[in-house]
Amino acid sequence: MTDQFTRSKIPIKPVYTPEDIKDFDNEKKLGSPGSFPYTRGIRPAGAWTWIQRELSGEGDPKTSNEQLKYLISQGQTGIDVIADAPSMALLDPDHPLGVNAVGTQGVSICCLQDFRDLWKDLPLDSLTISNSIPAIFTAAALYLVAKENSVSAQKLRGSVIQAPFFAEDCGYATHMPFKLRLRLACDSIEFCTKKMPKFHAFVEDTYFFSEAGLNAIEEMALGFIEIRHVVRDLLKRGLDIDSFAPRIAILVNCSMDFFEEIAKIRATRRLFARMMKAEFGAQDRRSWAPVITCHTSGLSLTAQQPFNNIVRGAIQSLALVLAGVQALEISAFDEAFRTPSPESHMVGLRTQQIVGLETNVTKVVDPLGGSYYLEALTDEVEKRIWDMIMDIESKGDPAELSDKGFFKKFFDDVMARYAKEIADGVLPKVGLNCLQIPDEEDTLLKEVAETKIEPCWDHIESIKKYKNKRDPQKIKIVLQQCYQSAKAEGENLTYPIIKALEAGATIGEISGVMRMAYNYPYDPHGMLEPII
Amino acid sequence: MDQHEVGAVAVSRLLRDAGMEIIYLGRFNTPAGIVKTSIEEDADAIGLSCHSWEYLHYVPELLKMLNDQRLNIPVVIGGSVITPGDSDKLKDMGVAAVFGPSTTNDELVESIQQLVS
Repeated sequence: MTDQFTRSKIPIKPVYTPEDIKDFDNEKKLGSPGSFPYTRGIRPAGAWTWIQRELSGEGDPKTSNEQLKYLISQGQTGIDVIADAPSMALLDPDHPLGVNAVGTQGVSICCLQDFRDLWKDLPLDSLTISNSIPAIFTAAALYLVAKENSVSAQKLRGSVIQAPFFAEDCGYATHMPFKLRLRLACDSIEFCTKKMPKFHAFVEDTYFFSEAGLNAIEEMALGFIEIRHVVRDLLKRGLDIDSFAPRIAILVNCSMDFFEEIAKIRATRRLFARMMKAEFGAQDRRSWAPVITCHTSGLSLTAQQPFNNIVRGAIQSLALVLAGVQALEISAFDEAFRTPSPESHMVGLRTQQIVGLETNVTKVVDPLGGSYYLEALTDEVEKRIWDMIMDIESKGDPAELSDKGFFKKFFDDVMARYAKEIADGVLPKVGLNCLQIPDEEDTLLKEVAETKIEPCWDHIESIKKYKNKRDPQKIKIVLQQCYQSAKAEGENLTYPIIKALEAGATIGEISGVMRMAYNYPYDPHGMLEPII
Repeated sequence: MDQHEVGAVAVSRLLRDAGMEIIYLGRFNTPAGIVKTSIEEDADAIGLSCHSWEYLHYVPELLKMLNDQRLNIPVVIGGSVITPGDSDKLKDMGVAAVFGPSTTNDELVESIQQLVS
């Protein structure tokens, strides 16, 4: 027996030998890179790289646009923008509850003009534009902005995150019923499948909810629960699995358990491939192979000795490159304090570039494939993820479990467990629960980390003015249309949302009337009067 | 608007396990809502958790409301985003205790117990 475990509590031995993978069927478990079951990656062997980007967005859309252009000028090869907390919660910047958070944790986005400003002068026909901004609105806006710039929607690349299940419990609550959240996700995926075929309209984001402290098994099991539910819903609509499955991507987390994280990604690809082929009957090879993208864990970083976080980011990014991910973002060293500073953005980007250019690790695909330890661990991780998926699904319909608070309780327990692991020292954190230094000596990079940004007061005022300048009658008509479409089952809401955005309606207003159509309050916080 | 909750949940459970009665309000609260609940529940102390800078705006508002209503309920606040400089300012404003990322569990429990005794 052993007393050593991975972070997911998988027992590990001091050494692994051929005995540990003695019945290993190479063809069945690995295949070649770029072939079923894609354990070794979704691309055939050959020179490869990944999309190098850092999560961006702060202040108003114009400020964020400058930030994006700067990062691209420094060699960033894609963009990923996150909206601020009010925008993620579908509140406009002038909502009384949101005013103190406008632009401080991401970009403030509420109307088509904001999206125009955010993407101004970016090459929409070639740049991959990934968005941690409410999905259906972003897809609709990208479609519109591309049209205005004479860029074919067929060429648009990038992604939006769909999070109908877990955002409500441990992320940005939208205060919409599950049924509406799922509908908005599926409507936008269906729309993009038809109109923006290269765009990844379905990114399963296991990052944000695993930041509650979930381990690798729990993270992927819950991710698969959501993927499976959304896929089943799309199939119920009559969509062909091969029409949308090739555009599913998974945005995973990466903690500090180096080999377990690599095993997690390899196991996820194999599970996904088998599930798509055997369970959902996909025949297109691209449907079997999920794009895996990653954001390194912010939770793994510490407020103490923030320079240590640079090292953590480097180790995590190396693990991810060895696992063969398609895109990567490193959580910034000042994560515990603020939205990334320009300095921490640069360190993250340069870390990726150093791994890519100086280490030679990309010259060989899946270089750890065949390792006794890694293959044994990949098998075990895969088995445990699948068992957990089956266990949760046996408890009932995941949608009902979500409504009953099953997942909320799960997240609460995990948050407490994580805090205890840190307090008890079970999970060593250099500078936090071991190797501490006195606060007064802990000064390196603190000045950068502790610099604050003010809420974007000017932007709040300009949005107020923008709203007042519109023709109220015109806005009422498009919002009425959104309301009626939301009331009518079976209509794809992307179309009325496109019309509403084009007419100048805001995300907060459109969300409000859709809530009303589902007998929820227009303003979940009871501070605004309905506009229709 | 801050959605980060790991710290708040962990501290709630820690204090509950130390024998205190905890009314956890979850995310998305306003100073007015917190004051109202504190009166209804006859709270001995108010604990705030923050991972965004909104506390800089809401703490003065909360303290003023408590003061206006002549409620003598100590307010404590915790979060890694609070800098030493902010911590001093908060205390000057009337916040009873500020907990940073290096506060140990024992210090936290002891400090709250002293405040409410």
